[in-house]
Amino acid sequence: MNHDRGAPLTLASRWRRLAATVIDAILVPALTLVLIMLTNVLEDAEDYADSWWILHVLALAILSYLLLNGIGLKRRGQTIGKKLMQIMVVPAQALDHPGNHIEPASLWKLICIRAWFFAFLFVMVVPWIFLLPLIDHLLIFSSKRRCLHDILAGTIVIKTPDDN
Amino acid sequence: MISELRNPLLTLLLLSCTAHSYATACEGSPPTPTSLLEYGTGWGIDERNTRFQPNSQITSENAGRLTLKWVYALGGQAPRSHPLITQDTIYIGSDGVGVIALDRESGCERWRFAHDGPIGSAIVPGRIEARPILIFNDRTSGVFAIDATDGEFIWHASIDDEPIPWYSGTPLVAGQSVYLPISSLEVGLAANPLYGCCTTSGGMAALDIATGQKRWYLPTIAEPAEKTGSHYLLVSRYGPSGAAVWGTPSIDADSNLLFFGTGQNYSHPTTDSSDAIFAVHADSGEIAWMRQFTANDAYNASCNAISLNHPNCPKPLGPDVDFGAATMILRNSQGKLHLIAGQKSADVHALDPQSGDLLWSEKLGRGGIIGGVHWGMAANETLGLLFVPISDKGLDEYPSPGIAQPGLYALDIETGERRWHYKRQDRCADKGCTYGLSSAIIATNDVVVTGSIDGYLEVVHAATGRLLWSHDAWREYQTVNEMPASGGGFDAHGPMVADDILVVSAGYGYVGNQRPGNALLVFQVEGENEP
Repeated sequence: MNHDRGAPLTLASRWRRLAATVIDAILVPALTLVLIMLTNVLEDAEDYADSWWILHVLALAILSYLLLNGIGLKRRGQTIGKKLMQIMVVPAQALDHPGNHIEPASLWKLICIRAWFFAFLFVMVVPWIFLLPLIDHLLIFSSKRRCLHDILAGTIVIKTPDDN
Repeated sequence: MISELRNPLLTLLLLSCTAHSYATACEGSPPTPTSLLEYGTGWGIDERNTRFQPNSQITSENAGRLTLKWVYALGGQAPRSHPLITQDTIYIGSDGVGVIALDRESGCERWRFAHDGPIGSAIVPGRIEARPILIFNDRTSGVFAIDATDGEFIWHASIDDEPIPWYSGTPLVAGQSVYLPISSLEVGLAANPLYGCCTTSGGMAALDIATGQKRWYLPTIAEPAEKTGSHYLLVSRYGPSGAAVWGTPSIDADSNLLFFGTGQNYSHPTTDSSDAIFAVHADSGEIAWMRQFTANDAYNASCNAISLNHPNCPKPLGPDVDFGAATMILRNSQGKLHLIAGQKSADVHALDPQSGDLLWSEKLGRGGIIGGVHWGMAANETLGLLFVPISDKGLDEYPSPGIAQPGLYALDIETGERRWHYKRQDRCADKGCTYGLSSAIIATNDVVVTGSIDGYLEVVHAATGRLLWSHDAWREYQTVNEMPASGGGFDAHGPMVADDILVVSAGYGYVGNQRPGNALLVFQVEGENEP
């Protein structure tokens, strides 16, 4: 993705990031629900005889996330929510080199680091685990608006620059 | 609603953080569980489930001098274990902690059998040859046997005949067998709209007391469930299902017949074995007779979730009036046996134990899904009286028709005729509670001991229904194990008495709108003359 040489990158606003997260937090569970219905993993009594059903649902949730967001993350550093909110995830170094060609953050960091913090949003009812997403999201109020998952993945979230 | 939840959640958080690290160990006092059976054979005090304690000195004369002796903080916020009392020890299950042997005098801890799961039964004494043992249920993982002397693990058994059994009813130990009531997690799983409701059956199992090996298993629904359709979430419906066994069975030693009641069906089609009384041969599990009292009763927990339009809520919907309370075998004044069964509809039935013929029925309240008769009754055969606690609690999500008539009733064992009704005072205006009697009760000498949903432990005169003594447990307590403990509503297995002490767990928050707590209360008759 090209960017006007010399034009500064704009950090994504907190409200856009929140809205993008909300959209993703609706879409991913919705697709997971559909997959659960299609695969019947929660339908039979035998499924509850042990705890494997939890892993089944988790696997379907990961699959849903990848189906919805995998291509967008690889190509543009965008989930569906971020695309709709016109924001994207890029390497943190992009701020220091505003005139360069902007590449999205590497896919493995987006999936293996950032995406897990998205998953933690759904288990905030578990005692003590709620502290992790809480700390994660409170860091949005830092000067560079970098949450914990941004810091760990070495990313920032910017407003999508206009394509040439 | 949120404010109601906040305090229990905080309390749970605190309890989980501290994890009972302050248990006070006894110094130099062994458990010495001699004559373990002297104070009863289990939940029903005897194998007939009379819930009459012959070895107690608590009477109408001294009940007024019952004084709080010590309090022990249990784990969880819905204590469901019923204590076993011996000469010097009180055994109790504590959720997330295990089975604990407490010194009867001081409440110090003699030993504990560490166990993480929810202990949902009475602690039942037994013997393997000369070795004294304790039998108890983890509600989800099965039945355990441990040594009564030191808590050493002996065996664990579960039932593989059903995929998701729920071990809710207390086992009965009789002879060399452990009779294990089987319910099903499906009643709750049905609240998940993606669950294909319902395929499992209740049942009764007989285990070898020495090894825990299964001798026989009898499902209450013989035919396997089949697909009956599907709903708008593409999830299949199945039936028949349900007819769970919630209560402790009773056994007639002379005829060797085992008796138990069943719950409602979870889905359609319904069966003739739901809301029924079973008589089975104790040595084989073969059915001697079966009698249904409410037909076409299909209900599950999905019917409480948000609305009755839940896709797993059976239509037509039944009244959910199962036999949750244990069956009783009582002698009338001529020595004739009556099989007594209390139903959540608030009906009490007397049957001929040999034939299943109905002798009498009496309806005492409006009934409902929390009873009517919920957990258990008691009797005094000398007085010829059956004591029936009536809950008549309604739930906002599923209101019961009719006028609630909670309280304690005394019926003539022989005829079912009402002798008296103790109408409890409504003190729930500021508490947001109900004031019925859901918990099981116990009788001894000329008194009956009850615990109410609104947190009052009461002693009532058996012959007249006059209130003799009460204790308000809607409060905080100082404990011998230095953990925070609060009282609350009385429910589940209820009080136990032995010698001059009264033991009960307070704070059963499992059912909606009941104050949760975790206090094991021990009272003793004090004074110069008695006991």
